[in-house]
Amino acid sequence: MDKRDKTLIIIAIIISVIICCLAPFIASGDPDGLEKSAEDANVSEDKATVVITPPFPDYTFEPFESIGEVGVLILGVVLTLVCGWGIAEIVKRRS
Amino acid sequence: MHIPDGFIPFWQCAIYYIILIIGLYFASKWARENLDEKRIPLLAVLAAGIFAIMSMNMPIPFGTSGHMVGGALVAIIFCAPEAAILVFTVVLLIQALVFGDGGITALGANVLNMAIIGGCTGLYTFKALKGKLGIYASAGIGAWLATVVAALACAIEMAIAGTFPLTVGIASMVTYHIFIGIIEAVLTVIVLMALDKFRPDLLIWNKNRIEGGE
Repeated sequence: MDKRDKTLIIIAIIISVIICCLAPFIASGDPDGLEKSAEDANVSEDKATVVITPPFPDYTFEPFESIGEVGVLILGVVLTLVCGWGIAEIVKRRS
Repeated sequence: MHIPDGFIPFWQCAIYYIILIIGLYFASKWARENLDEKRIPLLAVLAAGIFAIMSMNMPIPFGTSGHMVGGALVAIIFCAPEAAILVFTVVLLIQALVFGDGGITALGANVLNMAIIGGCTGLYTFKALKGKLGIYASAGIGAWLATVVAALACAIEMAIAGTFPLTVGIASMVTYHIFIGIIEAVLTVIVLMALDKFRPDLLIWNKNRIEGGE
């Protein structure tokens, strides 16, 4: 990997981490487009079910409130980066 | 527009999973032919960046919020909707399994909307307009349209699932995503501009220019 790729990765991680640190404090808590549409159509709230119990539901980690949210978001960024890279390595061009 | 579990009956989820599997077949075929060492870091950081930006819900009118999705962005950068399928399968799978954002049974439908429909709409709009409007205007319009068309698709899926009627779905989903699409367009253009400035070698259209055209 050349130096420019390392720079790209570092800058992308920095930007992602900044977003993760800000999101729990400044992101809008209003329902998103789909949730609001479901409200508009009077879809009952328990229509959405839970099939598997995720470790960090709704990006929260209860014991630590907002800091917990920042933490799990950063965990998510690292996880997506690693898994994205892993999948890409598996399917990449064979020469 | 992450569809949660419970909004789509299981048998319909199965159909969307079949579409996902077909999509992944084409995506891995594309990757075997096109995804070189140089673009692997780009694909990985796009996945991570998209995960992060999806946490940043911005307020739009009507007491609603929305965030960037990024399907059009990935498809435009790689000039391939297949790249968006790879990225979104990873992002949406992690969001569903670890954070309960978007259903695991609805994964197929979510990849269909955000990556396949969003990616194709964004990329082909971009390609169609690029010659007339230039790269950034056509990417912005492509990203906006990708959001609106994906929302429309989601509304249709909700109607087929019987979760909410098509009229309400179209009126609400499309109206909200007309605004959410503006966020998508602005951020897509910003990322493309940044890449063009700092890593022009990663953009396909620059590669063609540097190598003297297709």
